[in-house]
Amino acid sequence: MSEKNNRIPFDENNYTHNIHRNNERKLDRRGFMKTLVGAAGVFAVSSLPWGAVAAKELMGLSEKEYPHKKIADLNKIGIGEAVDFKFPGEHDDALLIRLSEEKFVAYNSACTHLQCPVFWVKEEGEMICPCHHGKFDVESGSPIAGPPRRPLPTIEVKVENGAVYAVRVKRYES
Amino acid sequence: MNRRLVNFISLLICLFLNIVFTQKMVHQFKFENYDVAIMYCVLNLIVFPIALFVFKRDEKQSEVNRREQ
Ligand code: FES
Repeated sequence: MSEKNNRIPFDENNYTHNIHRNNERKLDRRGFMKTLVGAAGVFAVSSLPWGAVAAKELMGLSEKEYPHKKIADLNKIGIGEAVDFKFPGEHDDALLIRLSEEKFVAYNSACTHLQCPVFWVKEEGEMICPCHHGKFDVESGSPIAGPPRRPLPTIEVKVENGAVYAVRVKRYES
Repeated sequence: MNRRLVNFISLLICLFLNIVFTQKMVHQFKFENYDVAIMYCVLNLIVFPIALFVFKRDEKQSEVNRREQ
């Protein structure tokens, strides 16, 4: 009878047949290696959507055209002031800044660090991100301080019939 | 060097590569270099079978060792 009880019915690698104490082999070498392989699997699976969207983006061709969108009337924006608007989609926050009589710049206002909304500080002449104090240059949108490493995407604007319109989102030059 | 150690360290390297590739992939994606992003995605996918292979090989080797004892 005891002979029978001691027999291991079949070979398997779940370690349940040699536990002598509670939790004795909770995480041994093999168990840890299994976790590593599992983690590699999770990385593989979670990088799939990125690849898929990138492939779609590649095929969907570069310069996307969105319908031009009116941002604001010219006489409503003073020099050195900023207006929030949405472009290209309803959920993409963007920021228009009037630098001089003629000069307008617009950027996608989601910080390139972790997507916090960037705002314009007139007194300092900089765009500042409230989350980790990233700073961006107004002229070019490139990061000048803090954690962001990538410039804000530029939105091309044009002035027409006394109003400012958003035309398209510029691509990064590579 | 000890085979067990080699297997173990190769798995650690696999995971390290995963982390590096993922980081690069996300950054290149954001920079709109979509082809490079896809390349890193594929690299990330390739690492998994390699890790699995190392794991299986380790399993086999330890079995052989056990029998030899
Ligand atoms: S989110 Fe803007 S600096 Fe971190």
